[in-house]
Amino acid sequence: MWIDPTLWPKLHGASTHFPVALTMTAALCDGLGFVWPKSSPRKAQLHGAGYCTIILGALGTFPAVLSGLFMTKGEVWGHDVLLFHHLFVWPAFALLAGLGTWRALAGSSPSPRSFTVYMAVLLLTAGLMGAAGYWGGEMVVNS
Amino acid sequence: MSFSLEIKALGWAILAALASLGGAWLSASPIKAMAASSPVGLTEASPGITPSPQVTDEGRNFFGQSCSHCHGDDAHGDEGPDLHNLAISNARMAATIKKGIKGEMPSFAKKYDDHQIAELVSYLRSLR
Repeated sequence: MWIDPTLWPKLHGASTHFPVALTMTAALCDGLGFVWPKSSPRKAQLHGAGYCTIILGALGTFPAVLSGLFMTKGEVWGHDVLLFHHLFVWPAFALLAGLGTWRALAGSSPSPRSFTVYMAVLLLTAGLMGAAGYWGGEMVVNS
Repeated sequence: MSFSLEIKALGWAILAALASLGGAWLSASPIKAMAASSPVGLTEASPGITPSPQVTDEGRNFFGQSCSHCHGDDAHGDEGPDLHNLAISNARMAATIKKGIKGEMPSFAKKYDDHQIAELVSYLRSLR
């Protein structure tokens, strides 16, 4: 079966921005909700948005990763810029899958102690996603 | 929300993370095998050029002149990376040779024309 060789780069480019944006948004919403005054109803709304976006972001990583694997013809590490991209992608992918699962199962109002740990891991994951996106962009710019 | 439920959720989260990562890495092998069984043809990068031993030999000469300093005489890598079994399309190879890689590899657009770059790509594609 003939497949347009530019299909996978296009699909990867299209699918990869969703999990990046959703993870950043989840970190922003939950981060704001974390410091927002308890008395305000906005706090619950921010956590609700964080809950939805992290689960959607985790689900969105699967098409992004799969299209990336097809694009690179199964290259898991690579070299140069692709290697840098993958050094951030794989930990971010694993952490995001874990965060989405934990958030879905632990509910929308976990204990403050657990949520503090969750926030720390979420911020780390958002940073890794940002770095992976940066190196992915470098490949596009330099190719 | 009970603490025990959060601990259970943590167990599932770790399992999901490992399964996702493992699944992605395991799926890379069949994808690699599929790609190897349907190699991208030379014509994709350079219409009008037919792959032949002469074309590949010409590409090898260009490689010796311009690439072997960094990629090694046998293209197995030195200062630059190993160029065997490259998992990129011919078009991408040609574009990289033409434009270079910022801070890592110079552009060869002025030194080689499209036809010569296609010959170089033909040689690189023969490296298995």
